[in-house]
Amino acid sequence: MNDTTELERGYRRLVACYPRSFRRENEEEIVGVLLATARDGQRRPGIAESADLVRGAVRMRMGLSRSPRTVLYAVRLMYAGAVAEVAALVIFALTAASVRSDFLVNHPLATAAQLQQVNAHIIGDWVGLPIAIGFWLWMAWANGRGYDWARLVCIGCFALNTITLLAALGTGVARYAPAATIACAVTWAIGFAALALIFCKPSWGYYTRQAAAGQ
Amino acid sequence: MQEATFLILTALADGSQHGYGIISEVADISGKRVRLRAGTLYTALDRLRADGLIDVDREEVVDNRLRRYYRLTPEGGLRLAAEAARLQANANAALRRLNPALGVI
Repeated sequence: MNDTTELERGYRRLVACYPRSFRRENEEEIVGVLLATARDGQRRPGIAESADLVRGAVRMRMGLSRSPRTVLYAVRLMYAGAVAEVAALVIFALTAASVRSDFLVNHPLATAAQLQQVNAHIIGDWVGLPIAIGFWLWMAWANGRGYDWARLVCIGCFALNTITLLAALGTGVARYAPAATIACAVTWAIGFAALALIFCKPSWGYYTRQAAAGQ
Repeated sequence: MQEATFLILTALADGSQHGYGIISEVADISGKRVRLRAGTLYTALDRLRADGLIDVDREEVVDNRLRRYYRLTPEGGLRLAAEAARLQANANAALRRLNPALGVI
């Protein structure tokens, strides 16, 4: 009897790693199954089963176990978006100087106002790219947890990205900053795919359920 | 579909099962090759419920322990049937191609 209580305490300590909402619903059952599958006379949780429980807990804490595959892929795409944005920042840091000089070579008679516009663009990217990285990470986290408002924020971000891309293509910025424009197009494509995934049919149920569970 | 998922759905195909029952059924079906651990099982059950492939059938208390029985949903049945047909088609193709070769030996 003492062995069982000691073993049960050990299992409960491991199950404590799981999110509270999961524990509330499943703790008794999972401890029951663990005790039923334990060897005769076993006093402590084994290494393999402990590792298995901790791995499950980590996946759930990251919000990646309950979400349907569509949301899982969307979250991965959002992390990829953050990586792409970091790459864009690096490319931008390396090419910002050449963008300005290319512009001057092509427009030797550029007015002060035009130069100011180019400078404003460059400053805008310095400020905008780190914010964009933060947004991708924030959205990956919030969508993984199934917050419905996150989908609305995603629409807003995507609209902003679309406007930026169209503006870059329309105003000729693309000619002077091809690398930045390609980066913008890549993040747009990632954003489009992620948006399609979070609004496709299998994802809807997840967001609705999570909203209902949060109330 | 991952093998563990396929086996869990198969375990539920002919009736509802509780957690420990699923582990034993999966071991039987796989000829003791796949031994599901509790962490893996409950992560999978959580996901399958979220995907609407299984649902809770009923709950019982046996020896002061909660037993929750899971069952396949109609959608889960369709997905399992589709996956089984796909695996069977692949296996048949492999056997068809192997048989003449084996016949020579």
